[in-house]
Amino acid sequence: MSAPAVIAAGETAQSVTERICAVTLREGARPWTPLWWWVAFAVSLGLLGMGVISVAWLFYAGLGIWGIDWPVVWGLDILNYVWWIAIASGGTFISALFFLLGVEWRTALNRLAESLTLCAALCAAIFPILHLGRPWFFYWLFPYPNTMGLWAQFRSPLVWDFFAILTYVLASILFWYFGLLPDLATLRDRAGRPGQRVFYGVLALGFRGSGRQWRHYRAVYAVMAALMAPLVVSVHSIVGMDFAGSAATGWHSTQFPPFFVFGAALSGFAVVLVAILPLRALLGLQAYVTARHIDVLGRLFLTSSLCVAYAYLMDAFSTFYGSDPAERTMFVLRVFGLYAPVYWGTIVLNIVLPQLLWWRAVRMTAPLVWLIGLGVLVGMWLERFQIIVTSLARTQMPSSWGQYTPTIWEWSLLFGTIGLFLTTFLLIVRLMPVVAMAEMRAMLRGGVG
Amino acid sequence: MIVAAFATEEGMREAAAEMRRGDCGFVETYMAMEPWEAEVGVEGGSVLPTVMLGGGIVGGVGGFLMQAYATTVSYPQNIGGRPDLSWPSYVPATFELAVLGAVVAGMAGFLLLAGMLRLYEPVDEADCMRGAMLGSYVLVVRPADSACARRVLARHAPIRIEEVAE
Repeated sequence: MSAPAVIAAGETAQSVTERICAVTLREGARPWTPLWWWVAFAVSLGLLGMGVISVAWLFYAGLGIWGIDWPVVWGLDILNYVWWIAIASGGTFISALFFLLGVEWRTALNRLAESLTLCAALCAAIFPILHLGRPWFFYWLFPYPNTMGLWAQFRSPLVWDFFAILTYVLASILFWYFGLLPDLATLRDRAGRPGQRVFYGVLALGFRGSGRQWRHYRAVYAVMAALMAPLVVSVHSIVGMDFAGSAATGWHSTQFPPFFVFGAALSGFAVVLVAILPLRALLGLQAYVTARHIDVLGRLFLTSSLCVAYAYLMDAFSTFYGSDPAERTMFVLRVFGLYAPVYWGTIVLNIVLPQLLWWRAVRMTAPLVWLIGLGVLVGMWLERFQIIVTSLARTQMPSSWGQYTPTIWEWSLLFGTIGLFLTTFLLIVRLMPVVAMAEMRAMLRGGVG
Repeated sequence: MIVAAFATEEGMREAAAEMRRGDCGFVETYMAMEPWEAEVGVEGGSVLPTVMLGGGIVGGVGGFLMQAYATTVSYPQNIGGRPDLSWPSYVPATFELAVLGAVVAGMAGFLLLAGMLRLYEPVDEADCMRGAMLGSYVLVVRPADSACARRVLARHAPIRIEEVAE
């Protein structure tokens, strides 16, 4: 059976430009902003408001409002951080890695995927700061000349993490914005409303499509992509080392860096699927995000699920192949103890359900793929719960065992960041071109099918 | 300057190549996607990958030296008996700062070398430029020899020609 096309038959450079500009500029459309967008935006703002209240109360009352205590000193704060930063990876994998591999299907997806990266990375960056206890001193992590004579502890993975997140957030913003420049220039020249012309004109920074600009643009974009691909791997490896660098049971493992990269790929592809499946219908992008894209994403999704399955298997194997009784006890309790539903939920949602994607009929059924993607996002959250909470709750000394129950302020902060993610993503979807028009035009000139 | 719009990329490229060969003046092309291939008469590629390499080296070496200075001179600490200059643990932050240096150098270099961020560009006075990012193929020549430029344009039949004061 031949693969479906990456773009609908009959599409031209002109039709792509007109359609994508129409999605963003909506000239002559009534209402100017679609109703579904307002409904989604209102829900997102509601969730964001919940998060703002939670943070305000945290600043007033301190970390005591959370359920963390000895021995579980990392709770939903670090869990949510690791979850969000993993979600952010999908856009970078699709945009940078598959650009270097020269695959055509990435062209229609990269803008939305990169935007998801940006929004998720912003959510992730909040948690390490809030978790500091005195977040207003977060700038102490910066290596800056100070009268206290203090430096950050550069041998600690937690400080490596600071540099990794700083670089990842800044580089993701620059990579996303740099890729947008030609499309912002197109919107500037296409816009009918004076306000839109000024808005896109300022953002386009004077891009006019001159030969000189294109020559430099392509060179910089290629090098940025070549840097972003190893950067995303380094970020998730360092997140893995945050744990592996500790002597806590279940964490002190050399497999953690690749394990976290696999998990990042799985949750990254999951969020891209969960976002793109409804958006292609709502924005009328079926001609550009075709069955081929869904099929390819489904295959990548399945592959990363198998990689994660391998990591889970190795985790169990190395625990029992090793000689530490505390590790074995903790693992048995993880599988059969108080938090067993979390472990088995992880296995079912991350490993068992994605196996349905072996069947092409399943991969081609959007609602099923969407549900599996949503299941993986929940599963990856549960995975982080079992890694962080179960390990800390069952330390080497049984006399120090404890348990952890998140409070309403931790839950409201999680939902608040979901609100922040949705709010920023919806604003991008409404104000920015959702498909990389310049790249689509170049792809169409090259003749694809 | 003379601004001409063409219906096809080939028409614009051929006119630009002929003008460059004939030394008619400084020629620049404008279009909504990356050119199909390098333009005739335009020497070399972009210098920006080298600039990004420089930014990466500055970021990486600077990051490494900062960590070395902090842990050996400014604030030595005994962490698990490791030597003060425990360079393997500097590698992650060094790599991250190298990437950051390269990306920032690339963006800043692009803004500088690609002629961005100009508040006024005379070429924008031409109506032809409105279509440059929408699918037209626009050629701009600052003629050293105006007659030469007009002769070449007449041969390649652009769909529109404008003259703009600089």
